[in-house]
Amino acid sequence: MPALKRLVAAAMLAALCTSVPALAAQNPPPKVEEYVPISQLPPEDQLPAAPLLIAAYSFVMIVFFLYVVSLSRRLTNVQRDVDRLGATLKQTSKS
Amino acid sequence: MPKWFFRAAIVCGVMFVASPFVIASADYESTMGLVQKIFYYHMPSAWMFLTSGIVCGVASVRFLMTGDPRHDRLAWAAAEMAVVFGVVTLVTGPLWARKSWGTFWIWDARTTSSLVQWMVAWAYLILRRYGGPGSEKLAAGLALFGTANTAFIYVSVNYWRTIHPPTSVVPKLPFTMGFPLWFCVASFALLFVLLLRMRVRLEEQRATLDSLYLSMDDAR
Amino acid sequence: MRLAWLILRKDLTVEVRSGEIAYTTLFFAVACVLIFAFALVREGKPPEDGAAGILWIAVMLAGNLALGRAFERERQAETLRALLLAPAPRPAVYLGKLLGIVVLLAAAEVLLVPLVALLFQARLLAHPIWLTAILAAGTTGFAAVGTLFAAMLVRARSRDVLLPVLLYPITVPVIIAGVRGTAALLQPELEVDIVRFWLALLIAFDAVFVTLSLWTFEAVMTD
Repeated sequence: MPALKRLVAAAMLAALCTSVPALAAQNPPPKVEEYVPISQLPPEDQLPAAPLLIAAYSFVMIVFFLYVVSLSRRLTNVQRDVDRLGATLKQTSKS
Repeated sequence: MPKWFFRAAIVCGVMFVASPFVIASADYESTMGLVQKIFYYHMPSAWMFLTSGIVCGVASVRFLMTGDPRHDRLAWAAAEMAVVFGVVTLVTGPLWARKSWGTFWIWDARTTSSLVQWMVAWAYLILRRYGGPGSEKLAAGLALFGTANTAFIYVSVNYWRTIHPPTSVVPKLPFTMGFPLWFCVASFALLFVLLLRMRVRLEEQRATLDSLYLSMDDAR
Repeated sequence: MRLAWLILRKDLTVEVRSGEIAYTTLFFAVACVLIFAFALVREGKPPEDGAAGILWIAVMLAGNLALGRAFERERQAETLRALLLAPAPRPAVYLGKLLGIVVLLAAAEVLLVPLVALLFQARLLAHPIWLTAILAAGTTGFAAVGTLFAAMLVRARSRDVLLPVLLYPITVPVIIAGVRGTAALLQPELEVDIVRFWLALLIAFDAVFVTLSLWTFEAVMTD
Protein backbone atom coordinates (compact mmCIF):
# COMPACT_ATOMS: atom_id res chain seq x y z
CA MET A 1 0.00 0.00 0.00
CA PRO A 2 2.64 2.64 0.91
CA ALA A 3 4.51 1.75 -2.27
CA LEU A 4 1.45 2.54 -4.32
CA LYS A 5 0.96 5.83 -2.52
CA ARG A 6 4.53 6.76 -3.32
CA LEU A 7 3.94 5.83 -6.94
CA VAL A 8 0.82 7.97 -7.16
CA ALA A 9 2.57 10.85 -5.42
CA ALA A 10 5.53 10.53 -7.77
CA ALA A 11 3.20 10.54 -10.77
CA MET A 12 1.62 13.76 -9.54
CA LEU A 13 5.02 15.39 -9.09
CA ALA A 14 5.99 14.23 -12.54
CA ALA A 15 2.84 15.76 -13.95
CA LEU A 16 3.65 19.01 -12.23
CA CYS A 17 7.19 19.05 -13.55
CA THR A 18 6.27 18.12 -17.09
CA SER A 19 3.26 20.38 -17.38
CA VAL A 20 5.26 23.56 -16.99
CA PRO A 21 7.56 23.05 -19.98
CA ALA A 22 4.71 21.56 -21.99
CA LEU A 23 2.64 24.65 -21.52
CA ALA A 24 5.60 26.90 -22.06
CA ALA A 25 6.27 25.24 -25.41
CA GLN A 26 2.89 26.33 -26.77
CA ASN A 27 2.52 27.59 -30.31
CA PRO A 28 2.24 31.36 -30.21
CA PRO A 29 -1.34 32.66 -30.55
CA PRO A 30 -2.51 33.60 -34.06
CA LYS A 31 -1.40 37.06 -35.14
CA VAL A 32 -3.84 39.91 -34.60
CA GLU A 33 -5.03 41.57 -37.85
CA GLU A 34 -4.23 45.12 -36.97
CA TYR A 35 -1.23 46.24 -35.12
CA VAL A 36 -2.28 47.41 -31.67
CA PRO A 37 0.62 48.58 -29.56
CA ILE A 38 0.46 46.95 -26.15
CA SER A 39 0.45 50.27 -24.35
CA GLN A 40 -2.86 51.14 -25.96
CA LEU A 41 -4.67 48.00 -24.89
CA PRO A 42 -6.91 48.27 -21.82
CA PRO A 43 -5.13 47.24 -18.61
CA GLU A 44 -6.76 43.80 -18.44
CA ASP A 45 -5.27 42.70 -21.72
CA GLN A 46 -1.83 43.67 -20.62
CA LEU A 47 -1.89 41.10 -17.85
CA PRO A 48 0.29 38.16 -18.82
CA ALA A 49 -1.67 34.94 -18.84
CA ALA A 50 1.16 32.49 -18.28
CA PRO A 51 1.65 33.09 -14.52
CA LEU A 52 -2.07 32.64 -13.91
CA LEU A 53 -2.12 29.45 -15.95
CA ILE A 54 0.92 28.02 -14.22
CA ALA A 55 -0.44 29.02 -10.83
CA ALA A 56 -3.74 27.29 -11.57
CA TYR A 57 -2.22 24.02 -12.74
CA SER A 58 0.34 23.97 -9.96
CA PHE A 59 -2.33 24.60 -7.38
CA VAL A 60 -4.44 21.72 -8.67
CA MET A 61 -1.53 19.30 -8.58
CA ILE A 62 -0.37 20.44 -5.16
CA VAL A 63 -3.83 20.17 -3.61
CA PHE A 64 -4.38 16.65 -4.88
CA PHE A 65 -0.89 15.63 -3.92
CA LEU A 66 -1.29 16.94 -0.36
CA TYR A 67 -4.69 15.32 -0.05
CA VAL A 68 -3.45 11.93 -1.19
CA VAL A 69 -0.55 12.19 1.28
CA SER A 70 -2.90 13.14 4.12
CA LEU A 71 -5.33 10.37 3.30
CA SER A 72 -2.68 7.68 3.00
CA ARG A 73 -1.10 8.78 6.26
CA ARG A 74 -4.42 8.53 8.08
CA LEU A 75 -5.09 5.18 6.48
CA THR A 76 -1.73 3.69 7.48
CA ASN A 77 -2.16 4.93 11.06
CA VAL A 78 -5.55 3.31 11.43
CA GLN A 79 -4.38 0.16 9.67
CA ARG A 80 -1.47 -0.09 12.08
CA ASP A 81 -3.77 0.25 15.07
CA VAL A 82 -6.13 -2.37 13.65
CA ASP A 83 -3.28 -4.82 13.12
CA ARG A 84 -1.86 -4.17 16.57
CA LEU A 85 -5.22 -4.62 18.29
CA GLY A 86 -6.00 -7.68 16.21
CA ALA A 87 -2.72 -9.29 17.28
CA THR A 88 -3.34 -8.42 20.96
CA LEU A 89 -6.84 -9.87 20.81
CA LYS A 90 -5.58 -13.06 19.26
CA GLN A 91 -3.01 -13.41 22.04
CA THR A 92 -5.53 -12.80 24.82
CA SER A 93 -7.97 -15.26 23.30
CA LYS A 94 -5.25 -17.91 23.03
CA SER A 95 -4.07 -17.47 26.61
CA MET B 1 -8.02 -2.39 -1.11
CA PRO B 2 -9.57 -4.23 -4.05
CA LYS B 3 -7.45 -5.30 -7.04
CA TRP B 4 -9.00 -2.85 -9.49
CA PHE B 5 -7.95 0.04 -7.29
CA PHE B 6 -4.22 -0.25 -7.94
CA ARG B 7 -4.62 -0.68 -11.67
CA ALA B 8 -7.02 2.23 -11.85
CA ALA B 9 -4.67 4.38 -9.79
CA ILE B 10 -1.87 3.80 -12.28
CA VAL B 11 -4.16 4.66 -15.18
CA CYS B 12 -5.26 7.81 -13.37
CA GLY B 13 -1.69 8.88 -12.70
CA VAL B 14 -0.75 8.34 -16.34
CA MET B 15 -3.77 10.32 -17.51
CA PHE B 16 -2.89 13.25 -15.29
CA VAL B 17 0.72 13.23 -16.46
CA ALA B 18 -0.49 13.17 -20.06
CA SER B 19 -3.16 15.80 -19.62
CA PRO B 20 -0.99 18.90 -20.05
CA PHE B 21 0.16 17.54 -23.42
CA VAL B 22 -3.38 16.74 -24.48
CA ILE B 23 -4.46 20.21 -23.43
CA ALA B 24 -1.56 21.82 -25.23
CA SER B 25 -2.72 20.22 -28.49
CA ALA B 26 -6.08 21.99 -28.31
CA ASP B 27 -6.73 25.08 -30.34
CA TYR B 28 -6.57 28.50 -28.80
CA GLU B 29 -9.89 29.95 -27.85
CA SER B 30 -10.31 33.14 -29.83
CA THR B 31 -11.19 35.71 -27.20
CA MET B 32 -9.36 34.47 -24.13
CA GLY B 33 -6.19 32.94 -25.54
CA LEU B 34 -3.79 31.08 -23.32
CA VAL B 35 -5.54 31.56 -20.02
CA GLN B 36 -8.63 29.75 -21.26
CA LYS B 37 -6.66 26.53 -20.90
CA ILE B 38 -7.43 26.68 -17.19
CA PHE B 39 -10.94 25.68 -18.24
CA TYR B 40 -9.78 22.11 -18.88
CA TYR B 41 -9.05 21.66 -15.19
CA HIS B 42 -11.62 24.07 -13.81
CA MET B 43 -14.71 22.57 -15.40
CA PRO B 44 -14.10 18.86 -14.63
CA SER B 45 -13.29 19.71 -11.01
CA ALA B 46 -16.50 21.77 -10.85
CA TRP B 47 -18.44 18.78 -12.14
CA MET B 48 -16.81 16.50 -9.57
CA PHE B 49 -17.61 19.06 -6.87
CA LEU B 50 -21.24 18.92 -7.95
CA THR B 51 -21.20 15.12 -8.07
CA SER B 52 -19.73 14.92 -4.56
CA GLY B 53 -22.52 17.13 -3.29
CA ILE B 54 -25.16 14.92 -4.85
CA VAL B 55 -23.56 11.72 -3.55
CA CYS B 56 -23.34 13.21 -0.07
CA GLY B 57 -26.97 14.34 -0.15
CA VAL B 58 -28.34 11.03 -1.40
CA ALA B 59 -26.23 8.99 1.01
CA SER B 60 -27.33 11.22 3.89
CA VAL B 61 -31.00 10.75 3.07
CA ARG B 62 -30.54 7.00 2.89
CA PHE B 63 -28.69 7.07 6.19
CA LEU B 64 -31.51 9.02 7.83
CA MET B 65 -34.05 6.57 6.47
CA THR B 66 -32.25 3.31 7.20
CA GLY B 67 -29.58 4.04 9.80
CA ASP B 68 -27.11 1.84 7.93
CA PRO B 69 -23.58 3.09 8.76
CA ARG B 70 -22.34 2.35 5.25
CA HIS B 71 -24.36 5.26 3.93
CA ASP B 72 -22.97 7.47 6.64
CA ARG B 73 -19.40 6.52 5.67
CA LEU B 74 -20.08 7.28 2.03
CA ALA B 75 -21.66 10.62 2.95
CA TRP B 76 -18.65 11.66 5.03
CA ALA B 77 -16.24 10.64 2.29
CA ALA B 78 -18.27 12.50 -0.33
CA ALA B 79 -18.32 15.63 1.82
CA GLU B 80 -14.55 15.55 2.02
CA MET B 81 -14.39 15.11 -1.77
CA ALA B 82 -16.66 18.12 -2.11
CA VAL B 83 -14.32 20.25 -0.02
CA VAL B 84 -11.23 19.16 -1.98
CA PHE B 85 -12.72 19.48 -5.47
CA GLY B 86 -14.47 22.65 -4.35
CA VAL B 87 -11.19 24.25 -3.32
CA VAL B 88 -9.72 23.39 -6.70
CA THR B 89 -12.74 24.86 -8.50
CA LEU B 90 -12.90 28.00 -6.38
CA VAL B 91 -9.20 28.77 -6.88
CA THR B 92 -8.81 27.93 -10.58
CA GLY B 93 -11.97 29.88 -11.40
CA PRO B 94 -10.78 33.23 -10.03
CA LEU B 95 -7.34 32.74 -11.55
CA TRP B 96 -9.02 32.36 -14.92
CA ALA B 97 -11.43 35.18 -14.16
CA ARG B 98 -8.63 37.60 -13.30
CA LYS B 99 -7.51 37.57 -16.91
CA SER B 100 -10.76 37.03 -18.76
CA TRP B 101 -13.17 39.11 -16.69
CA GLY B 102 -10.64 41.51 -15.21
CA THR B 103 -11.35 40.70 -11.58
CA PHE B 104 -10.80 37.77 -9.25
CA TRP B 105 -14.31 37.51 -7.89
CA ILE B 106 -17.74 38.34 -9.26
CA TRP B 107 -20.81 37.95 -7.13
CA ASP B 108 -22.77 36.15 -9.80
CA ALA B 109 -25.15 33.24 -9.34
CA ARG B 110 -22.90 30.32 -10.07
CA THR B 111 -19.75 31.44 -8.26
CA THR B 112 -21.62 32.56 -5.17
CA SER B 113 -23.77 29.42 -5.02
CA SER B 114 -20.65 27.28 -5.33
CA LEU B 115 -18.99 29.18 -2.52
CA VAL B 116 -22.00 28.80 -0.23
CA GLN B 117 -22.37 25.07 -0.97
CA TRP B 118 -18.66 24.62 -0.41
CA MET B 119 -19.08 26.21 3.00
CA VAL B 120 -21.89 23.79 3.78
CA ALA B 121 -19.55 20.90 2.93
CA TRP B 122 -16.85 22.46 5.12
CA ALA B 123 -19.39 22.87 7.94
CA TYR B 124 -20.22 19.15 7.55
CA LEU B 125 -16.58 18.24 8.11
CA ILE B 126 -16.28 20.57 11.11
CA LEU B 127 -19.38 18.98 12.59
CA ARG B 128 -18.08 15.43 12.12
CA ARG B 129 -14.73 16.36 13.62
CA TYR B 130 -15.87 18.38 16.64
CA GLY B 131 -19.46 17.38 17.22
CA GLY B 132 -18.65 14.40 19.37
CA PRO B 133 -20.63 11.15 19.45
CA GLY B 134 -24.03 11.18 17.86
CA SER B 135 -23.17 13.80 15.26
CA GLU B 136 -23.72 11.40 12.34
CA LYS B 137 -27.44 12.01 12.12
CA LEU B 138 -27.07 15.73 12.61
CA ALA B 139 -24.51 15.83 9.82
CA ALA B 140 -26.86 13.85 7.60
CA GLY B 141 -29.55 16.43 8.32
CA LEU B 142 -27.14 19.21 7.41
CA ALA B 143 -26.25 17.52 4.13
CA LEU B 144 -29.91 17.04 3.34
CA PHE B 145 -30.64 20.71 4.02
CA GLY B 146 -27.64 21.79 2.02
CA THR B 147 -28.75 19.76 -1.00
CA ALA B 148 -32.34 20.96 -0.74
CA ASN B 149 -31.10 24.52 -0.51
CA THR B 150 -29.31 24.44 -3.86
CA ALA B 151 -32.21 25.76 -5.90
CA PHE B 152 -33.00 28.49 -3.37
CA ILE B 153 -29.43 29.70 -3.22
CA TYR B 154 -29.13 29.75 -6.98
CA VAL B 155 -32.40 31.61 -7.54
CA SER B 156 -31.78 34.14 -4.81
CA VAL B 157 -28.24 34.93 -5.93
CA ASN B 158 -29.28 34.92 -9.59
CA TYR B 159 -31.19 38.16 -9.14
CA TRP B 160 -27.81 39.83 -9.24
CA ARG B 161 -25.61 39.95 -12.35
CA THR B 162 -24.47 36.79 -14.06
CA ILE B 163 -21.30 36.82 -16.17
CA HIS B 164 -20.60 33.07 -16.25
CA PRO B 165 -20.48 31.63 -19.77
CA PRO B 166 -23.71 29.85 -20.60
CA THR B 167 -23.72 26.10 -20.10
CA SER B 168 -24.54 25.46 -23.72
CA VAL B 169 -20.94 26.16 -24.68
CA VAL B 170 -19.98 22.51 -24.08
CA PRO B 171 -21.86 20.76 -26.92
CA LYS B 172 -20.72 23.39 -29.38
CA LEU B 173 -17.02 22.94 -28.72
CA PRO B 174 -14.96 22.01 -31.78
CA PHE B 175 -13.41 18.56 -31.56
CA THR B 176 -9.91 19.83 -30.87
CA MET B 177 -11.23 21.50 -27.73
CA GLY B 178 -13.82 18.86 -26.98
CA PHE B 179 -11.42 15.95 -26.79
CA PRO B 180 -9.06 17.48 -24.19
CA LEU B 181 -12.10 18.46 -22.14
CA TRP B 182 -13.55 14.98 -22.07
CA PHE B 183 -10.10 13.54 -21.45
CA CYS B 184 -9.76 15.76 -18.39
CA VAL B 185 -13.30 14.94 -17.29
CA ALA B 186 -12.42 11.26 -17.45
CA SER B 187 -9.20 11.85 -15.47
CA PHE B 188 -10.99 13.82 -12.79
CA ALA B 189 -13.85 11.35 -12.61
CA LEU B 190 -11.42 8.49 -12.16
CA LEU B 191 -9.53 10.46 -9.52
CA PHE B 192 -12.81 11.18 -7.74
CA VAL B 193 -13.76 7.51 -7.64
CA LEU B 194 -10.31 6.49 -6.41
CA LEU B 195 -10.13 9.12 -3.67
CA LEU B 196 -13.69 8.36 -2.61
CA ARG B 197 -12.92 4.66 -2.34
CA MET B 198 -9.80 5.38 -0.28
CA ARG B 199 -11.70 7.71 2.03
CA VAL B 200 -14.52 5.21 2.54
CA ARG B 201 -11.88 2.59 3.31
CA LEU B 202 -10.53 4.88 6.02
CA GLU B 203 -13.95 5.03 7.65
CA GLU B 204 -14.41 1.28 7.36
CA GLN B 205 -11.07 0.74 9.10
CA ARG B 206 -12.02 3.20 11.82
CA ALA B 207 -15.24 1.28 12.39
CA THR B 208 -13.25 -1.97 12.55
CA LEU B 209 -10.95 -0.35 15.10
CA ASP B 210 -13.91 0.71 17.23
CA SER B 211 -15.37 -2.77 17.23
CA LEU B 212 -11.94 -4.21 18.09
CA TYR B 213 -11.71 -1.86 21.07
CA LEU B 214 -15.14 -3.01 22.16
CA SER B 215 -14.09 -6.67 21.89
CA MET B 216 -11.00 -5.86 23.95
CA ASP B 217 -13.22 -4.50 26.70
CA ASP B 218 -15.42 -7.55 26.50
CA ALA B 219 -12.45 -9.91 26.59
CA ARG B 220 -11.19 -8.46 29.86
CA MET C 1 -51.38 20.52 17.27
CA ARG C 2 -52.73 21.02 20.74
CA LEU C 3 -49.48 19.67 22.09
CA ALA C 4 -47.53 22.23 20.10
CA TRP C 5 -49.66 24.93 21.60
CA LEU C 6 -49.07 23.55 25.08
CA ILE C 7 -45.34 23.49 24.56
CA LEU C 8 -45.46 27.06 23.35
CA ARG C 9 -47.42 28.11 26.39
CA LYS C 10 -44.98 26.31 28.68
CA ASP C 11 -42.03 28.05 27.11
CA LEU C 12 -43.72 31.42 27.24
CA THR C 13 -44.72 30.98 30.86
CA VAL C 14 -41.20 30.05 31.87
CA GLU C 15 -39.86 32.92 29.87
CA VAL C 16 -42.26 35.51 31.24
CA ARG C 17 -41.33 34.49 34.75
CA SER C 18 -37.59 34.58 34.31
CA GLY C 19 -37.17 36.85 31.31
CA GLU C 20 -33.63 35.67 30.84
CA ILE C 21 -33.67 34.88 27.16
CA ALA C 22 -35.97 37.72 26.19
CA TYR C 23 -34.02 40.46 27.91
CA THR C 24 -30.60 39.24 26.86
CA THR C 25 -31.68 38.73 23.25
CA LEU C 26 -33.30 42.14 23.05
CA PHE C 27 -30.32 43.83 24.60
CA PHE C 28 -27.97 42.04 22.25
CA ALA C 29 -30.04 43.05 19.22
CA VAL C 30 -30.02 46.70 20.25
CA ALA C 31 -26.30 46.57 20.99
CA CYS C 32 -25.78 45.06 17.55
CA VAL C 33 -27.58 47.93 15.89
CA LEU C 34 -25.55 50.40 17.91
CA ILE C 35 -22.29 48.78 16.84
CA PHE C 36 -23.37 49.06 13.23
CA ALA C 37 -24.25 52.68 13.82
CA PHE C 38 -20.81 53.47 15.20
CA ALA C 39 -19.12 51.52 12.44
CA LEU C 40 -21.07 52.82 9.48
CA VAL C 41 -22.40 56.26 10.23
CA ARG C 42 -19.97 58.84 8.94
CA GLU C 43 -20.29 62.46 10.03
CA GLY C 44 -23.81 61.88 11.17
CA LYS C 45 -24.95 60.44 7.84
CA PRO C 46 -25.89 56.78 7.67
CA PRO C 47 -25.10 54.70 4.57
CA GLU C 48 -27.83 54.59 1.98
CA ASP C 49 -29.92 51.45 2.00
CA GLY C 50 -27.86 50.19 4.91
CA ALA C 51 -30.91 49.95 7.12
CA ALA C 52 -32.28 46.78 5.52
CA GLY C 53 -29.03 44.89 5.88
CA ILE C 54 -28.46 46.05 9.43
CA LEU C 55 -31.95 45.07 10.50
CA TRP C 56 -31.61 41.56 9.16
CA ILE C 57 -28.09 41.03 10.46
CA ALA C 58 -29.22 42.08 13.92
CA VAL C 59 -32.18 39.69 13.74
CA MET C 60 -30.02 36.77 12.64
CA LEU C 61 -27.29 37.34 15.20
CA ALA C 62 -29.79 37.79 18.00
CA GLY C 63 -31.71 34.76 16.76
CA ASN C 64 -28.59 32.63 16.88
CA LEU C 65 -28.07 33.64 20.49
CA ALA C 66 -31.69 33.01 21.42
CA LEU C 67 -31.66 29.56 19.84
CA GLY C 68 -28.59 28.56 21.77
CA ARG C 69 -30.01 29.80 25.04
CA ALA C 70 -33.44 28.29 24.50
CA PHE C 71 -32.11 24.81 24.06
CA GLU C 72 -29.43 25.18 26.71
CA ARG C 73 -32.21 25.61 29.21
CA GLU C 74 -33.86 22.46 27.93
CA ARG C 75 -30.62 20.58 28.19
CA GLN C 76 -29.97 21.61 31.74
CA ALA C 77 -33.42 20.68 32.91
CA GLU C 78 -33.44 17.54 30.78
CA THR C 79 -36.89 18.54 29.66
CA LEU C 80 -36.16 17.76 26.04
CA ARG C 81 -35.61 14.12 26.85
CA ALA C 82 -38.76 14.13 28.93
CA LEU C 83 -40.70 15.60 26.04
CA LEU C 84 -39.35 12.99 23.68
CA LEU C 85 -40.08 10.14 26.08
CA ALA C 86 -43.66 11.29 26.45
CA PRO C 87 -46.10 9.65 24.06
CA ALA C 88 -46.27 12.81 22.01
CA PRO C 89 -45.95 13.10 18.26
CA ARG C 90 -42.46 14.39 17.51
CA PRO C 91 -43.60 17.02 15.00
CA ALA C 92 -45.63 18.65 17.72
CA VAL C 93 -42.57 19.03 19.92
CA TYR C 94 -40.69 20.62 17.05
CA LEU C 95 -43.56 22.96 16.18
CA GLY C 96 -43.96 24.07 19.75
CA LYS C 97 -40.28 25.00 20.03
CA LEU C 98 -40.39 26.68 16.62
CA LEU C 99 -43.37 28.84 17.60
CA GLY C 100 -41.59 29.86 20.77
CA ILE C 101 -38.53 31.05 18.87
CA VAL C 102 -40.64 32.88 16.30
CA VAL C 103 -42.55 34.70 19.04
CA LEU C 104 -39.29 35.73 20.68
CA LEU C 105 -37.77 37.00 17.44
CA ALA C 106 -40.99 38.79 16.55
CA ALA C 107 -40.78 40.64 19.85
CA ALA C 108 -37.21 41.60 19.04
CA GLU C 109 -38.24 42.85 15.60
CA VAL C 110 -41.03 44.98 17.03
CA LEU C 111 -38.34 46.76 18.96
CA LEU C 112 -35.70 46.77 16.24
CA VAL C 113 -37.68 48.11 13.29
CA PRO C 114 -38.49 51.51 14.81
CA LEU C 115 -34.99 51.71 16.27
CA VAL C 116 -33.26 51.06 12.95
CA ALA C 117 -35.67 53.38 11.15
CA LEU C 118 -34.81 56.09 13.63
CA LEU C 119 -31.06 55.65 13.82
CA PHE C 120 -30.51 55.19 10.11
CA GLN C 121 -33.14 57.58 8.85
CA ALA C 122 -34.79 54.88 6.81
CA ARG C 123 -38.48 54.88 5.98
CA LEU C 124 -38.96 51.31 7.10
CA LEU C 125 -42.51 51.88 8.24
CA ALA C 126 -43.71 53.28 4.93
CA HIS C 127 -45.25 49.97 3.87
CA PRO C 128 -46.03 48.17 7.13
CA ILE C 129 -47.97 45.25 5.69
CA TRP C 130 -45.31 44.26 3.19
CA LEU C 131 -42.64 44.69 5.83
CA THR C 132 -44.51 42.51 8.29
CA ALA C 133 -44.98 39.84 5.64
CA ILE C 134 -41.31 39.77 4.71
CA LEU C 135 -40.15 39.80 8.32
CA ALA C 136 -42.58 37.05 9.23
CA ALA C 137 -41.63 34.82 6.34
CA GLY C 138 -37.90 35.36 6.80
CA THR C 139 -37.99 34.89 10.56
CA THR C 140 -39.97 31.67 10.19
CA GLY C 141 -37.47 30.28 7.70
CA PHE C 142 -34.51 31.19 9.86
CA ALA C 143 -36.18 29.83 12.99
CA ALA C 144 -37.27 26.62 11.26
CA VAL C 145 -33.72 25.66 10.33
CA GLY C 146 -32.32 27.03 13.58
CA THR C 147 -34.73 25.14 15.84
CA LEU C 148 -33.90 21.88 14.15
CA PHE C 149 -30.15 22.35 14.34
CA ALA C 150 -30.26 23.65 17.92
CA ALA C 151 -32.39 20.70 19.01
CA MET C 152 -30.06 18.24 17.33
CA LEU C 153 -26.99 19.92 18.82
CA VAL C 154 -28.30 19.69 22.39
CA ARG C 155 -26.28 16.58 23.07
CA ALA C 156 -23.26 17.45 20.94
CA ARG C 157 -19.91 18.79 22.00
CA SER C 158 -18.94 22.34 21.03
CA ARG C 159 -22.62 23.04 20.48
CA ASP C 160 -22.33 26.80 20.99
CA VAL C 161 -19.84 27.31 18.22
CA LEU C 162 -21.35 24.69 15.93
CA LEU C 163 -24.77 26.29 15.70
CA PRO C 164 -23.66 29.35 13.70
CA VAL C 165 -21.33 27.16 11.62
CA LEU C 166 -24.28 25.05 10.53
CA LEU C 167 -26.95 27.72 10.48
CA TYR C 168 -25.53 30.58 8.46
CA PRO C 169 -24.61 28.82 5.21
CA ILE C 170 -28.02 27.17 5.09
CA THR C 171 -29.94 30.39 5.73
CA VAL C 172 -28.16 32.37 3.01
CA PRO C 173 -31.34 32.54 0.86
CA VAL C 174 -33.21 33.99 3.84
CA ILE C 175 -30.81 36.83 4.33
CA ILE C 176 -30.56 37.57 0.62
CA ALA C 177 -34.32 37.57 0.14
CA GLY C 178 -35.01 39.37 3.40
CA VAL C 179 -32.53 42.16 2.83
CA ARG C 180 -33.38 42.63 -0.84
CA GLY C 181 -37.09 42.58 -0.11
CA THR C 182 -36.75 45.08 2.72
CA ALA C 183 -34.45 47.28 0.66
CA ALA C 184 -37.02 47.31 -2.13
CA LEU C 185 -39.51 48.68 0.41
CA LEU C 186 -37.14 51.54 1.19
CA GLN C 187 -37.08 52.80 -2.38
CA PRO C 188 -38.94 56.08 -2.99
CA GLU C 189 -41.21 54.33 -5.48
CA LEU C 190 -42.36 50.92 -4.43
CA GLU C 191 -41.95 48.21 -7.07
CA VAL C 192 -44.43 45.63 -5.94
CA ASP C 193 -43.18 42.93 -8.29
CA ILE C 194 -39.76 42.85 -6.72
CA VAL C 195 -41.14 42.69 -3.21
CA ARG C 196 -43.57 40.01 -4.26
CA PHE C 197 -40.77 37.93 -5.80
CA TRP C 198 -38.66 37.98 -2.66
CA LEU C 199 -41.67 37.29 -0.48
CA ALA C 200 -42.63 34.33 -2.65
CA LEU C 201 -39.09 32.98 -2.39
CA LEU C 202 -39.19 33.28 1.40
CA ILE C 203 -42.54 31.54 1.62
CA ALA C 204 -41.31 28.72 -0.62
CA PHE C 205 -38.22 28.41 1.55
CA ASP C 206 -40.41 28.23 4.66
CA ALA C 207 -42.66 25.58 3.17
CA VAL C 208 -39.77 23.38 2.06
CA PHE C 209 -37.68 23.72 5.17
CA VAL C 210 -40.41 23.43 7.78
CA THR C 211 -41.45 20.21 6.07
CA LEU C 212 -37.87 18.96 5.86
CA SER C 213 -37.27 19.91 9.49
CA LEU C 214 -40.37 18.03 10.64
CA TRP C 215 -39.22 14.93 8.80
CA THR C 216 -35.60 15.21 9.91
CA PHE C 217 -36.59 15.91 13.54
CA GLU C 218 -38.50 12.66 13.50
CA ALA C 219 -35.61 10.73 11.94
CA VAL C 220 -32.88 12.17 14.11
CA MET C 221 -34.57 12.15 17.50
CA THR C 222 -35.46 8.49 17.19
CA ASP C 223 -32.45 6.50 18.27
